[in-house]
Amino acid sequence: MKRAIPLFLAIIAYIFFLMFLLSPSGGHHEEGGVGEIVISELTDYPIGKIAVNPTDNFIVIQLKHFNNFIAKINESILKNIRVNFGFIQSDMRITKRVMMMWLTVLLCVFIFVPLARRIKKDKLGSESKWVNLWEFAIGWVHDNVVEPNFEGKYINTAMPYFLTLFFFILFCNFVGLLPGMSTATGNLAVTGGLAMLTLLSIIVVGVVKQGPLWIYKGTVPHGVPFILGLLLLWPIELIGLLIRPFALTIRLFANMTAGHVVIIIFIFLVMMFKTYFIGIGSVIGSLMIYFLEMLVAIIQAYIFTVLSAMFIGSSMHAH
Amino acid sequence: MDFLKEGLLKVDPGLLLWTIITFIVLLLILWKAAWKPIVEALDARAEKVRFDIDNAERSRQEAEKLLSQHREMMNNARNEAAQIIARGKEEAEKMKNDIIEKAHAGATDIADRAVKEIELAKDKALADIKTEVVLLSTEIASKILSKNIKPEDQKALVEEALSKMGTVQ
Repeated sequence: MKRAIPLFLAIIAYIFFLMFLLSPSGGHHEEGGVGEIVISELTDYPIGKIAVNPTDNFIVIQLKHFNNFIAKINESILKNIRVNFGFIQSDMRITKRVMMMWLTVLLCVFIFVPLARRIKKDKLGSESKWVNLWEFAIGWVHDNVVEPNFEGKYINTAMPYFLTLFFFILFCNFVGLLPGMSTATGNLAVTGGLAMLTLLSIIVVGVVKQGPLWIYKGTVPHGVPFILGLLLLWPIELIGLLIRPFALTIRLFANMTAGHVVIIIFIFLVMMFKTYFIGIGSVIGSLMIYFLEMLVAIIQAYIFTVLSAMFIGSSMHAH
Repeated sequence: MDFLKEGLLKVDPGLLLWTIITFIVLLLILWKAAWKPIVEALDARAEKVRFDIDNAERSRQEAEKLLSQHREMMNNARNEAAQIIARGKEEAEKMKNDIIEKAHAGATDIADRAVKEIELAKDKALADIKTEVVLLSTEIASKILSKNIKPEDQKALVEEALSKMGTVQ
């Protein structure tokens, strides 16, 4: 039983891995230079139909059927749901990034729901390394993210949001590091969505905790004459309020994208020069960047979460 | 730079909505099924650990207090024992001195008494001798002088002899 959960997760991860390895990539790998390869790796595309080959093995056939099932939903239902953001229009088709996020959701659920049961069962703390690892991670979020920015009973109220945010971003980052997967957080729409939730939380928390007048009082410093505050400071503070989530968006997106670009370019060197000697160097180089990316994955998840916590925490009190 | 605008920097509203939906669903699932019990359990454990540490601290302080009390008691007992021994020695010394003194005094008394008794005995013996001498001399004198001396002369003679004897003595 102790080994069953990680094993199960590994199997699920492997199945998804195969699935995305088989899904058609939207790019044109055979043609074009490094720019197109990088872009095709980093861009998103809706899940499309793949031909099922009868000679494939059982798992691959199942995966292709699953892929085609998603593609069918895409074509029949989701393509007709139009999303109109004024200047950009789109539809709700399920893309590769959405699948990645769902994989992350599955990972989170399969890790944390059994974990909750085990932690609840062992009153004095479990001896299992697996449980202690996640306990440490949760305690780390509690001590470094939530506790410095919230106080008293609000710590426990804020914990679920920041834990979810941290682990969602962390797992997205790590899933993206597996070959064949793509990084959901390396996309402006995904990071923008998360940052919009943070912005929404800032506003909702400010309005609920400090009243509707927070939108003026909470942003403009005290002691400023009303006219001056309204005309000069308030617009600046409002822009500052909007810049915060924008900076969150760009920071996470750029960090997650940059590392991948460097890894792909290192690998592309082999294709360019077509010698083994370059291969040695480029594999070592991309391995180095890969390790760096693992570090960045943790750091960026932490930074996004801790900055969100700071912004939301600071809108709890007038300052 | 069209490929950047179309690919890398494109913000797809569909994906954005999917992100928000996915995140909120995950948040709700984990909130109910994972975070609430985990945070509660960890809080309870932290509380318990804090309580245990407090308890341990209190026990330690109590133990230290007891230890210092014991030390004090031990010191007191040792001091008392030393005092008792010292007092005992002192008393023994005093007793010894007393006994020696008493013995000395006793010895002196006995010696004095012996001297006195010897003196008394000597006096008595001398007195006895004196009476005996008087009687004998009287008898002798009377025997010698019975024929030719009158009683008055006799008496005068005896007294003379007696006084002589007194001077001799």
